[in-house]
Amino acid sequence: MIVNESVLSLGISLIALFFAGFLATKVNQSLTAVFIVVGMILQNFFPVTIITEFIATLGIIFMLFMFGLEFSVGSLVNNQRKIFFNGVYDLLFNFPLGMFLGWILGYDLIQTLLFAGIIYVTSSVIVAKSIIDLKRSANPETEYILNILIFEDMFIAAFLACIVGVVNYGHIDTKGMLLVMLKTAAFFLFFIILSRTAKKIIDKVVDIEHTELFIILILSIIVLSAGAASQIGLSEAIGAFLAGLLLSETRQRHRISEAIKPFQQFSTAIFFVTFGMSIDYKHAGSLIPIGIFIFVVSSFSKVFGGYFVGKKYALSKRACLRLGFSLIPRGEFSIILAGTIAMNTNVPYPVKSLTGVYVLLSAILGSILMKESDWFVKNFFESKGKEFQPLGRHSAKD
Amino acid sequence: MSEIKESELPGIGKKFTLELDSGDKLVVVIHSSGEREVFKFIKDNDEPASVTTLADEEARQIGAILSGTYFQPVIEEAQKLTMKNATMEWIKIAPDSALANKRIEELDIRKKTGVSITTIIRGESVIPNPHSGEIIKPQDTIIIIGGNDQIKNFISTFEIKHRLENDRQ
Repeated sequence: MIVNESVLSLGISLIALFFAGFLATKVNQSLTAVFIVVGMILQNFFPVTIITEFIATLGIIFMLFMFGLEFSVGSLVNNQRKIFFNGVYDLLFNFPLGMFLGWILGYDLIQTLLFAGIIYVTSSVIVAKSIIDLKRSANPETEYILNILIFEDMFIAAFLACIVGVVNYGHIDTKGMLLVMLKTAAFFLFFIILSRTAKKIIDKVVDIEHTELFIILILSIIVLSAGAASQIGLSEAIGAFLAGLLLSETRQRHRISEAIKPFQQFSTAIFFVTFGMSIDYKHAGSLIPIGIFIFVVSSFSKVFGGYFVGKKYALSKRACLRLGFSLIPRGEFSIILAGTIAMNTNVPYPVKSLTGVYVLLSAILGSILMKESDWFVKNFFESKGKEFQPLGRHSAKD
Repeated sequence: MSEIKESELPGIGKKFTLELDSGDKLVVVIHSSGEREVFKFIKDNDEPASVTTLADEEARQIGAILSGTYFQPVIEEAQKLTMKNATMEWIKIAPDSALANKRIEELDIRKKTGVSITTIIRGESVIPNPHSGEIIKPQDTIIIIGGNDQIKNFISTFEIKHRLENDRQ
């Protein structure tokens, strides 16, 4: 009766997700964080089953695919200088810090690198949503925030490919690193050449009227790309990401997005729950002080990095700080990094529970800090007496 | 004409910035969802003083109004100038009207009053520059043009009771 039980537990997970998510949207909280909490609670009632594990794997694949599909290649090409310089700035401020923290925690080199990635990457989902909710999309700092996010996401996609390659290889040495880099580069190159040369053919191939066949074809492209990546020792996620990029320039892009979105939303939710379920409950409690420490330190470095990017473009002090504060929330990508590695069963990583605690803190507190950045500016950085009440403060209170 | 700056907001949509003569800035953000937001930034301030959110349909209506498709004050002025000494009248033909069921040529309107019939509106159809053989029917609306005196003359000659409000006023 194993099938029935796992189906039932999946059902219970879903209804729990619904209620928790419903409450979360009422108080405007990130769904990612809430789903992880649901998973942490549910682990007391039933274990992760083969079914949920499988759906969670699909969750990563679909998420990366959608991410590739909606990736704005146009703005990357148009603003490449700005994106590159601001992105590198942000990288230099935050990635080495993560490595330093990993070293303090006594991790080995692979774990340290992984941890640096987890600390470094801001959640573009949470930040973009908050920007819209807080009515900041027209603010001067917003463009710079989004530029940094593009760079981060791209960097992390490549980073994910490499780190999973390294983990699958087993250990770090020059030969192994070189091999992984070479494989990753070859895989990327293959997709880039494909999208350049076969653009028209791909456009024709995916132009299928029949709804069912259309979905099956798209799914096959996604899963085949993910499988191919996995076959040569890279992350499945990166295969899906490149498939998304490949299809993002077709005329069917919108239709593909509509068709895959339900799959993605369902499987990603299960992925977060599964991740939450794998966080050791009692162990996580003792990690909270370290989590808070890391959160505070890494938030400072994000705010400072963002502040200097803003200063470079002569934004006002307020705008600079808003820019910095907007980079604090971490979310889906940190979880993906920790989750993908953790699914590799021959390498048990202590990083995972800590990532869980860290992402919960930064997703929840980060979006609050984003809202209240003006309060910080007022109380810590400006002399009192300026009376202008910005709009963001009002809508934040509703 | 002011320059409109266009920039991409990846993951959100597109942003258009218009610097006004007053120094204030008007920013329109078109979200990928079709929703539009209009922000106003007071001079030298980097936080919006107001924001208006419009659905796709609402934005189109406002757009039409702003572009002058609904109402154009400047052109109205020009029309008054050229029409200084001439008037157009919309006249509904009653069944008992002296004009009803008569050919235009047999009414001899131009010779008697100086007024010309420019258009006959019959139900859904419009007959511009009607032929002199055209018969005016009850329930038609005719549009006539002439000097103010000529129009007065026309109205008294044919005992018109049903003058329509001029659309333009």
